[in-house]
Amino acid sequence: MKLANIIKNTCKKLGENNKPTYVVMAIATVKGICRPTFTMMDKTEKPETKKYTALREGLTEVIAIPAYWACGEAAGALAKKVFNKDKALASRAAKNMMFMGVCAAALIVIPALCSVAIKPIMDKMGLKAPDENEQPPKTLTEPKALYTAPVNPLPDKNKFPQMRTFTSRPQIGLRVGGL
Amino acid sequence: MIGAVQKILTNSHLASIAQNTTQSVAIETTLKSIGRPGFILVDNDIDSDTKQYAAAKEFLYQATCLAVYMALIVPVFKKGGFKLAKEKLFKNTNGFEHFKNVKEYMHYRKLADNPSINNRLTTLEKELPASSTKVKEQYDTVLQEELKKENPEKFVYVKGAVELSNIIGSVLGLAILAPQVSHAFIHPALRFLGLEDKNKKAQNQQKQLDTKA
Repeated sequence: MKLANIIKNTCKKLGENNKPTYVVMAIATVKGICRPTFTMMDKTEKPETKKYTALREGLTEVIAIPAYWACGEAAGALAKKVFNKDKALASRAAKNMMFMGVCAAALIVIPALCSVAIKPIMDKMGLKAPDENEQPPKTLTEPKALYTAPVNPLPDKNKFPQMRTFTSRPQIGLRVGGL
Repeated sequence: MIGAVQKILTNSHLASIAQNTTQSVAIETTLKSIGRPGFILVDNDIDSDTKQYAAAKEFLYQATCLAVYMALIVPVFKKGGFKLAKEKLFKNTNGFEHFKNVKEYMHYRKLADNPSINNRLTTLEKELPASSTKVKEQYDTVLQEELKKENPEKFVYVKGAVELSNIIGSVLGLAILAPQVSHAFIHPALRFLGLEDKNKKAQNQQKQLDTKA
């Protein structure tokens, strides 16, 4: 019975005033929980990639929730101030402005905040985008020389000695020119 | 100029969209499908192939979300929520007894929101295009009398039940179902557009350059 009353009261409140911020904040909250959970449950990805992606997804929604609320409420308050002479007009303008505020948040504010804030936060947390082609780290052994000269046991006497040409040089390091 | 802005800000049609969960979520998802890829494309830190790939992926994700939302979630939750509220929760009280379905209520609500009584009465006398019956014939006498009043009853419990079921449907659809559907759809679509191979090639080239340098 208690649950039924809660639902009835919610219906009454939503029927009287269904703020545009309610649904977007609800979606962002559930997304912020479910998307990182789904990512962490993916068995095909590497743990580092999963951790990075899940945190990024979570952070996006953490930024989105207050951004939706702030933009919606600020726009609504502004409309009430501008149309303070006519109460009926002010109420309608507040609804419209709140919706516009939420739209502005979805179109500009959230993508901009995410592109500015997420990378520094991830860097501070010590998480960097994992390379897809990255090989698993090998155990450290003795350091190897970058280039070792080929060992020819004995010179072949039936062949003319070959000159060390430009192209036979070791193909490592910075090369300038067309070769 | 100020008059035009004022007209837009106090527009009754815009107010009804703002109060409607389905329409407002659809508009916001459309805006997201423009805004997010746009911000990826103007990012100067990424190379052009990766930008194209990431922007197309984000656009396809939002487009899939919108399609799933409009095709599946809206009809199922709107109709189901109304039926559940009418039959189980409110048991044909609090205004539910006057309406057979959501469509009927939404039509009534639109008329009730119209401030002009004359406009309302003119609409009631109009014929429905699908059948040769008049609009007023789909309403009972209580609703017809309400529409003649200056401030007609708006049946907030009915509106609230419709909006609550829409919010639940939106959350389930956009946060849980749509990402699963888009996951299955996005990669074949990117391959079809030739963007996935291009991105892999770009990554490989980058890797080769990194190892050579």
